[in-house]
Amino acid sequence: MKEVLRCNGLQIGYKGKALMPPIDVVLHEGEAVALVGANGSGKTTLFKTLTGNLKPIEGSVELCGKPLSDYSPNERAKLFSLVLTEKPDDLFLKVFDIVASGRYPHSGLMAKLSDKDYEMIKVKLQLTGVFELIDRDFVSLSDGEKQKVMIAKALVQDTPIIYMDEPSAFLDYPSKVELLRLISRLAKEENKTILYSSHDLELLMKHGARMWVVAKGKKLTECQTNSFDNEIIKSYFFNDCATVDDLL
Amino acid sequence: MTFGKISYLCSRMETRKPTRTWLPTLLILLVGVLLFVLNLVVGSVGVPFSEFWDVLLGGGDETYRTIILEYRLPQAITALFAGIGLSISGLLMQTLFRNPLADPSILGISSGASLGVAIVVLLTGKLSGMAVSAMPGWSTIGVTIAAFAGAFLVLLLILALSSRLKSMVSLILVGIMIAYIAGSVTDVLKFFSQKEDVHTFVIWGFGSFSNVGKSQLGYLAGTILTGTVLAFLLSKSLNLLLLGDRYAENLGLNLHRASLLTILVSGFLMAVITAFCGPIAFIGLAVPHLARFTYHTSNHFVLTPATAVIGMDLALLCNLIARLPGFDGNLPINSVTALIGAPIVIYVIFHRQKVLSK
Repeated sequence: MKEVLRCNGLQIGYKGKALMPPIDVVLHEGEAVALVGANGSGKTTLFKTLTGNLKPIEGSVELCGKPLSDYSPNERAKLFSLVLTEKPDDLFLKVFDIVASGRYPHSGLMAKLSDKDYEMIKVKLQLTGVFELIDRDFVSLSDGEKQKVMIAKALVQDTPIIYMDEPSAFLDYPSKVELLRLISRLAKEENKTILYSSHDLELLMKHGARMWVVAKGKKLTECQTNSFDNEIIKSYFFNDCATVDDLL
Repeated sequence: MTFGKISYLCSRMETRKPTRTWLPTLLILLVGVLLFVLNLVVGSVGVPFSEFWDVLLGGGDETYRTIILEYRLPQAITALFAGIGLSISGLLMQTLFRNPLADPSILGISSGASLGVAIVVLLTGKLSGMAVSAMPGWSTIGVTIAAFAGAFLVLLLILALSSRLKSMVSLILVGIMIAYIAGSVTDVLKFFSQKEDVHTFVIWGFGSFSNVGKSQLGYLAGTILTGTVLAFLLSKSLNLLLLGDRYAENLGLNLHRASLLTILVSGFLMAVITAFCGPIAFIGLAVPHLARFTYHTSNHFVLTPATAVIGMDLALLCNLIARLPGFDGNLPINSVTALIGAPIVIYVIFHRQKVLSK
């Protein structure tokens, strides 16, 4: 399997103050990992460092074998796509317009779409299950639908990596489950490398999702489990006395 | 979803666009031609259509010839281009700041123009002891240059500050503060000036499409067309900006460069128009909304040309109303643009509220 993302002794934080010990992790294509941690544990800081919005204090981020800093903005646009908690709020934006913008890094000044681009937009909207919304105003959609449209945009952007910032926030329980399934499917079938942050610890453990658990000042822990695991919960709570029972 | 609809959406997306935009565009252009002709014919002196044809064909009565060709034609052409430029400038500001109530004056550029004019009109009068308004010929060109200089200085200041200000909201606030400073200096100048000069300045502030001489029309048209083409070339960046800064950046947009270019084009259009016509309100604010509602899109590849043609129509309409017979001369253009523009803006606010609370 091809290696896509590598953090080498990566120290993240602001103003020279590292939030946690150096991070050394690797992601290959087709792998999906949930980034789990309490508010303020450094999830957002890690995302910002991985997208190049924040400089690492030490160490480096390597994408497809090359340091992130060696890529131009347009090359980065073809390497990783984002799904954010904030959503476009323009009243006249159509679902089609948003998904089509995923082709912008691949198009010229006039953003002309080819037949292939149209086909891709159609296929990805079908994959996320929102093709019938193509002509709708984006603001009129439900939160779950908006999320799927933004994921379709990320797929149309055609990047090996997708970063999702709390994609299941604002979603109801069935939609959370559906989203988690969609993420595993995209990793498996589309060969995407997906890193998504989440607060749905129980759901992730039941689902057997692979996790990176972060807590302030603690080393990032990698784990994968199909059951409630005391070790994970301990590192999540950054507290030695926390157990499964504390979750309930 | 039927197969017909799928193919209509996906393989024929290009043919979808013209069929949807074809009819309104044709209507807008026809209304534009009609308004343009009415601008030439209607006024304190009515021109009969038969005489209008004669003038158009190169003959006709000498008086009518003069009225149409020397006065009304330059005025109509000025209105047309100012309408295009103001509307495009407003569209760029609304997209850049993602704020439906942003207009070209938001960065203090028109206040800068006012200050420039105030300095020339009021201060030179004060220093020379003679009312500038009493110096014929000199005043129009002097005012144009002063307005452009004032507007451009504020534009440069904004561009310099924009690299230091991280958020667009801070930039708006700084722009508004610059407008206040310029306004207050202008007021101080007014306070110490001669009555005639203050009068000249106030008249300039009303805005007018009739101050552009035939010889200057070329400059006005050329600069505004250039600005409009540049704005159209920014369409891809503007579409990305609509998605929000972080998405735009992730889709390969150089945020800083795109904002700088947008401010530059918008400010340039605003500076040119304010220099020639005075500060004209509401057209730049209202027209982009009319364009969005008419074409139901926020795709700038459609929206930019749509805004241009609707802006042309609205400015011609305002100029026509300001010149209706019975008003005996021109009404201040700003009172007309406000009367037409403000209700549009109120409608937009209510519409937003309705859509967003759904």
